[in-house]
Order: sequence, then structure tokens, then C-alpha cells
Amino acid sequence: MSQPVDPAPGRRQILAAFVTAVTAGIGASLAAILGAFALKPSRAAASECWVHAGTLDDLTANVPVPHVVSVPRVDGWYRERARQMVFLVWDGNQQVTALSATCSHLGCQVAWNGETKQFKCPCHGGVYDVSGRVVSGPPPRPLESVAAQVRGGNVLVKL
Amino acid sequence: MRRLFDWLDARVGFRGGRSVMLDEPLPPGTGWFFTLGSVLLALLAIQILTGAFLTLYYAATPDHAYDSVRFIAEQVTAGRLVRGLHHYGASFLIVVLALHLLRVVLFGSYRPPREVTWLSGIALLLLVLGFALTGYLLPWDQRAYWATVVSINIGRLAPAGGEFVASVLRGGATVGALTLTRWYALHVVFLPALLVLLVVLHLLLMRRQGISGPVRTRPGDPYPFFPRQAARDTAVILLVTVALGAFAWHGAPALEAPADPTDATYIPRPEWYFLGLFQLLKYFPARAEVFGAVTLPTIGLLLLAALPWIDRGRSRAPKDRPIVMAAIVVGALAVVSLTALGWRDRPGSGSPTAWPVRAIGGRQVVLRANCTKCHAEGDVADPLEATAITRSAEWIGGHVSDPEMIAPGLREPPTLRSDREIAAMVSYVRQLARGPYPGFPPQAEQTAGIIARYCIGCHKFDGDGGTDGPDLTHAGRKHDADWFRRWITSPKNVDPKAEMPAFGKRVAPADIDALAQYLVARR
Ligand code: FES
Repeated sequence: MSQPVDPAPGRRQILAAFVTAVTAGIGASLAAILGAFALKPSRAAASECWVHAGTLDDLTANVPVPHVVSVPRVDGWYRERARQMVFLVWDGNQQVTALSATCSHLGCQVAWNGETKQFKCPCHGGVYDVSGRVVSGPPPRPLESVAAQVRGGNVLVKL
Repeated sequence: MRRLFDWLDARVGFRGGRSVMLDEPLPPGTGWFFTLGSVLLALLAIQILTGAFLTLYYAATPDHAYDSVRFIAEQVTAGRLVRGLHHYGASFLIVVLALHLLRVVLFGSYRPPREVTWLSGIALLLLVLGFALTGYLLPWDQRAYWATVVSINIGRLAPAGGEFVASVLRGGATVGALTLTRWYALHVVFLPALLVLLVVLHLLLMRRQGISGPVRTRPGDPYPFFPRQAARDTAVILLVTVALGAFAWHGAPALEAPADPTDATYIPRPEWYFLGLFQLLKYFPARAEVFGAVTLPTIGLLLLAALPWIDRGRSRAPKDRPIVMAAIVVGALAVVSLTALGWRDRPGSGSPTAWPVRAIGGRQVVLRANCTKCHAEGDVADPLEATAITRSAEWIGGHVSDPEMIAPGLREPPTLRSDREIAAMVSYVRQLARGPYPGFPPQAEQTAGIIARYCIGCHKFDGDGGTDGPDLTHAGRKHDADWFRRWITSPKNVDPKAEMPAFGKRVAPADIDALAQYLVARR
């Protein structure tokens, strides 16, 4: 075959510009769509929610009572429930405070000692008082407090 | 910039590459008909890209496939669009592929020396259908599941080795977890590898022989692909892409209920490009089914593949090849009309948002059983609409009658009396997973509750229900309200030979009234 001939230079330029523009346009739209798709998995931000933790009837005034709370965790399309222990402390009236049972040192679960009226960690001997302040031992911070509220005899905590 | 390009070109030689890619000489008169190959390439690229990105979120297990696809469609940014592009892209690909094939046949482009190019094209056609087949299962909803069961059963019809092929396709004893991973692997690893190889081969051969061009050689010099033909290609690609985008904008069709292998009442519907084959099967008695499902399509395909050896005349003009043209027209008409007939006859899908009467009745059961006491946002169990009802009805039945099994220490096990109540509850929760409860007038809910409890065990409503009594979907066409009232209260008083039990003592008169009104309204 002989050397192929071209259309007139002016026309050639217009056609070339058309091809480039359309190709770039389609490519850019695809890139934008797929980029958004890959970078932003979920529009709904994972958030804490109020979780049912027990009823007032289960509590004794001013004694921390351990409750295992089942916390729903939504991880994309995967739903699971984490079990988390909290101590509920009822003031005898309408007020309930909640403390996380997770030791601030290395994360063991603390236990309430009714005689000494203190929380004791079984792992490295951390001790906290009834409001979660460190009394002795390695824990660097007090027990984390958890927002709690009473609604119609039910205790809800925010986890 | 220029110096950078010069430097790069000296090492990589991209300018030479560019001229190899774009300066292909084309015979004079190459026109719009020759743009279809490029359109196919563009569509393939879109499929590969969107498919690759969809795998970011897809999980190929029976427990999670459905949830992950739903997540893509409902939660991920642009997820609906990407899924829509991939879904409709497949259909576009098949249509354009058919047009491309038709163009090649009309122009006699398969003539020597292009036989191998032709064969590689036929292989690509099969490969694309393979993609369609394997991809269809992945969303793992009822539609996907049952269409796949049917396809595999068609495979089993093949005389020699059919059973073997079917068992390889299934992986396990039934269509299940092993089938899903297998088809996923085929869809995203094996078939794409094969596809790339074949496409490269197809293109290399095309370049080696040059394109066939118009049927009669036109006077004039060959001209380079770029920019004249490239602009034609681009224009058609732009058109097709915009059309695809318009389809995809509305998102792929909504998912149906999650796959339920135990629900044998589901009527499978294949995707439209398999409707023709599906329709063909209807015309063959059971014994000759093999012929319709396997033999006939195979013969058609072999004839198509053998075209270059069957059609060996000198001229490529259609009018000099009457037999081939007639055969192709007949073949194309057969495919189109079978597909159209299949489309017309396809079993009704029922609107996905319409609530079946059993599901509405199930709400009554759920309310009565206090399910939402624990199944609530932030409570000990997931809200009902979020519970993944991917389990069988048997499992859910076990759960609601003995929740101790699932949630030890549950203090108030729900009191469910009958299988029918459980079935209604399952139906409600499944429906809830697809969309929120729309709300119905209290009387309608009450009536639905009664139907779900007493009637649906023996009577069918919209395809759901028992078969001991007549189908009541169109009950209102036969009798009036008064007749229904008397009949339901005491059938024996209306007809001494009646077999239906009397409900006058079990259902309050006001409810029987409402039921009669409801039945009359079903026309
Ligand atoms: S983890 Fe509690 S003291 Fe170390």
C-alpha cells in the first residue's frame, strides 16, 4: 500500500481536537465516578448510639453493678455486635452514672470489691475508687466514664 | 517539555508506537459501519474498570454477597451509578457485539485470509456470554440464584458429560457457597485473563491483515486511521457512552429478596439476552429438550464458525451471496423473535415495592409477639429491617419459636402458635429488608392478619399460598360480598358438599365482613 493520504490540515486539526476532547471527557468522568466510589465508601458516618444497658430495678443505690452491653457495630455491609462491660452506679434517685470496666493501663477488665469499695484490676494491681479515680498501681488515667441516662426505668448508655 | 518528550522518545520510542497505533492505513470508503469494533473496545474497558472497582466492596460468600451488593447500591458514593454502568454495560456489550458480528457477515469480512480473526471473534462472543452468565449470580438475590439453577440444569441436559459439566459448574452438591466463589473467580480472574488474550489476538490479526473495507474496492488512496476514522469511532463511542450513562443513572434494577434455596415457589427469569434460549426450550417436549437447549444452539454456532469455509465465492457483495444472506436474515429474525416472544411471556416479576398480603399480615404477628422489644436500634438485637434474612425460613422458624437457642437468657420468648404465623413473620421481615413499611389502613392490616393466619395455608394470593383451595388472586370476579360473607361463615349452608371449614365461630362477624369486601375488591 502506498503512503496513506491525510485530509486537509485544518480539518485534520479539528478532528484531532474532537477525538482528544471526547476521549479526555469520557476518561475524566469515569475517573471522577470511580474515584469517588473508591475513596468514599460510606456516606453515613459511623456514630455512637444510645444502647440499652439494663433497668433501674437491677441496680442498688451507690453500688457499681457490672452490666454486659451488646453494642451494634456497623462496618460497611458487615454488622456485628461487640460485647462491652460497663459499671452502672445509681445514686438512689433518678441519676445513673456509668464507668467503662476497661482498665486504663493495658485494658484488662476491672472488678468491684464491695468490702474495700474500690475497683481492682486483676492484671497488674491497679486500684480505682468508686468514681473511677486512680488510687494506686500502674493505671495512667481514671476509668473512662460513659454517658448514661435513665428513660422510663431503663438505663441507656452511649457507646 | 519538548526536550523531555524527545528524551523519552529516544529511550521508549513512544512516537513510533503512536504512529503504529494511529496511522494504520485504511482502504478508501471505510465508513461508519467500521466503528463498531472500537465501540466494543470502549465498552469492554468500561466493564473492566467498573468491575475492578466493584470488587472493592463485594464479598463472595452466601452470607454477605447480598448485603455487600446492597451496601454498594445504597451506601457507597456513586455506588448506584457504578453498579448501573456495569449492569447495563453488559447489555450494551452484547447488543453491539451482535451488530459487529452482523456487520462482518454482511460485508463478508470473514473471507480469507481473515478466517482466524473470525474464529477469535466467535470465541470472544462465547466469552462475553460466559461473563454475563457468571456475573448474573453474584448479587445473590432470588433472581440471580434461580436463574443460575436453571442455567446449570440446562447444562445437565447435554448428552455426554452434561452431569459432569454441571457438577464442575456447581462446585458443590447444590448451588451454594462453592458455586458462588467459583463463579466469582471465573468472572474476575479466569475469564478476564482469557478475554485480554483473545482481544489482543483479535486486534493483532486485524492489524496484520488490515481491515476488509467496503465490499467493492473504491477508487482512491488509502487514508490513515487518525484522525478521520478515529473521529467517526469517537463520535459513536460518545453516543453509546452517553446512552449507557443515561441507563446507569437510574441504577441497576433493585435487588430482589436474598437468595433462598428453600423457596421452590420462585419463578426464575433469565436476563433478556438468554430469553431467546429460554423461549426455545418451551417448544420442545421434555424428551426433546436436549435438542432445543443444546443441539440446536450448538449447530447454529458451528455453522456460524464455519462460514468462511461454507461461503467461498469471489464477490463479497451481499447480492452475490444470496444463501448466506438468507440464512443470516432467518437466523437473526429467529433470535430476535424468540427473544421478543420470551420477553412477552416472561413471568411477571411483581413490583418489588408491592407488599404481599402475607407480609402485611406478618406485621400483626410481629407486633403481637413483641419482637421489636429487643429488635430495636441500640437494643440487644439488631432492628428487624437490618437483620440479614439470608437464612432459611426453617432457621427463622426455629429462632422465633425457641430464641433461647439464639439469645441465651432471653426472658420472654415470643409465643407463636403456628407455622403460618411464622411464615407471615418471615415474609414481613424479608419485605422490610427491601424497604420500609408503607403503612396501610388499620382495617386492611387487620384483614391481612386474618388472611395470613387462616386463609393463605390453603389459598393462593398473587402466587403465594397453599393449593388445597382455589386461587383467590382474582376472587372478586366470581362472587359478590354477600356470597363471600355467607360462604366464609358457613360453607355448608351455601353448598352442602363444601369442604372448607366454617369460620363463623373463629372470626368476628365484622372481620368476616371486611374479608368479604377485600375479596370482592380483588378483580
Ligand atoms: S491492665 Fe489493669 S493494671 Fe495493668
